[in-house]
Amino acid sequence: MLIKLAWRNLWRNKRRSTIVLLSVIVGVNAMLFMDGMTNGMLSQILFNQISLSTSHIQIHNKGFSDNKTVQGIIKDSEKVEKAISNNPDVTAYSRRVITFGLLSSASNSTGVYIYGVIPEEEEKVSRIKSSIIEGNYLSNAKNEIIIGKKLAEKLKVGLGDKVVALANTPDGTIGSEVFRVAGIFKTPSSEFDKAFIYIPLATSQSMLDLGESFHEFAIITKNYKQSNSVRDELTSKLDAGIEVLSYEDLLPFIIIQLDMYKESMFVVNFIISLALIFGIINSTLMSVFERIQEIGVLMSIGMRIWKIFGMVVLEALILGVFGTVIGVVSGYLINIPFSIYGIDLSFFAESLESFAMGSILYPQLSVENFIITLFMIPLISVIAALYPAYRAIKLEPVYAIRYV
Amino acid sequence: MELIKTENIIKTYQDNGVPVHAVNGISLEVNEGEHIVLAGPSGSGKTTLLNLLGALDKPTEGKIFFEGDDLSLKSKKELSDFRLHKLGFIFQAYNLIPVLTAMENIEFSMMLLGVPEAERHQRSESLLEELGIAELKNKRPNEMSGGQQQRVAVARAIINNPKLVLADEPTANLDSKTGGHLLDLMDKMNEEKNITFIFASHDQQVIERARRLVKIKDGLVDNE
Repeated sequence: MLIKLAWRNLWRNKRRSTIVLLSVIVGVNAMLFMDGMTNGMLSQILFNQISLSTSHIQIHNKGFSDNKTVQGIIKDSEKVEKAISNNPDVTAYSRRVITFGLLSSASNSTGVYIYGVIPEEEEKVSRIKSSIIEGNYLSNAKNEIIIGKKLAEKLKVGLGDKVVALANTPDGTIGSEVFRVAGIFKTPSSEFDKAFIYIPLATSQSMLDLGESFHEFAIITKNYKQSNSVRDELTSKLDAGIEVLSYEDLLPFIIIQLDMYKESMFVVNFIISLALIFGIINSTLMSVFERIQEIGVLMSIGMRIWKIFGMVVLEALILGVFGTVIGVVSGYLINIPFSIYGIDLSFFAESLESFAMGSILYPQLSVENFIITLFMIPLISVIAALYPAYRAIKLEPVYAIRYV
Repeated sequence: MELIKTENIIKTYQDNGVPVHAVNGISLEVNEGEHIVLAGPSGSGKTTLLNLLGALDKPTEGKIFFEGDDLSLKSKKELSDFRLHKLGFIFQAYNLIPVLTAMENIEFSMMLLGVPEAERHQRSESLLEELGIAELKNKRPNEMSGGQQQRVAVARAIINNPKLVLADEPTANLDSKTGGHLLDLMDKMNEEKNITFIFASHDQQVIERARRLVKIKDGLVDNE
């Protein structure tokens, strides 16, 4: 009967309860929307980094990750390749030559990261093929090069134009090659587009006098969450002179940034919760003050104060639970079109691209977001009702029953 | 058998810093099954005395004993239980819970006592029948007349078979005919169920029916 009483008490003032219910629903929607935006942004930053060049796991000669010298070729690469091929959780890998060099056109020169790749392998571990906006992806023709849009603008070159790449060889001489621009790519990262070029692996090996050698295996696992376990398995099978790094090892700054974003979301949710708390306190307090005489009657007929306390808390809890459930369902439904079509943030495109985020944000809601919201808002409702409930039980029955 | 006894009780309020003795030294003994009317003009202290007897308020001085137990020694929780088990209240303004139906209002105190639902229904329906208000069982207070509401209030007050019912101006908001019916009903409960009734009233109709009349004036028993 206490639940029945609390429920009916709520609807004595329909307008007030509806306003509080709406505020809870709007609050829940705001929290879920913010959570979805943050999750979407964080995963886009992370997955864009992974799909641009980082991949899930990289294998190099020890120290290459910190100091990318051309001399750092993988020793005994056949043994490494065998270990990778035998791992059931690896879905694809790409062999890469990586070095820093100079790319020149007729009108300009700039420093670039030169990636020598086998096109068929690379397209399975990175998004570079799907990022081509002009021309074609690499076809293994000897003097093909693909470059980023920003780089093409800087060098003032277009499809078919000639560029020259220069880089140090392991013995200190300069290796060079002339290329024709076969394709121009545009990725979500403007920094990447300015600084990375792709050429065929064999061309890079001959240009740098590397023979059959290369610097990196970039690996994709069945699920990115397996990266660390696959890393550990591979590490145990390879020599000590080989380093196996997961994307978490390779992108520590981004991982820290992601954690910071998550923590900042906690602050945003806390602020939204605070606004909800004051709304619920206000309405519950008003509801208690309107029923002082009735509370006095309940006390006079022998209702214990903890039950009166519970009744007031229950009223707020019912509002919180209903508001949360409706808010979660509506929040989920609202999120669907945004998660499919994205939110166009072209206005901030430049800054977003420097974060490797792209200009379209796809919000993502996780089960964790729903569970936290489903528990947090009712809990907040209870917390908000504590003071009004305390005020109710502090009433003196003799004063309360005479209250008009 | 003695049910309630007061020993020189005083209740003093502060009115803008000025002490007001609402009850100024009343000693009273009430036996089980009595039908008492506390009569007196407005401000004489009869409602204050009723509140003290109902443990809704505590005396500034003096003691109140119920079945020999000193009420001043009881905690808030014990006083709640005491009111739930031993007392029934009838208020001038009926004071039914507006969101509950007549039957739910009656059942409420049984629910607080933990009476099972089936028994609650059976007892409340039987009492509604006995009081001639069975047709009101699903109505809410705003759908009932004043007289009907006060009958439901009487039912609520006696449903748990209390030892004592305290009725504060129960007929004040009713016409004389409706008030008369209500008093008949309470007289019947007093006689048939041996429930002790203490009324606070200045309604002549109530005073005339008193089997024991206690006149209160200026916080004191004027005569008995």
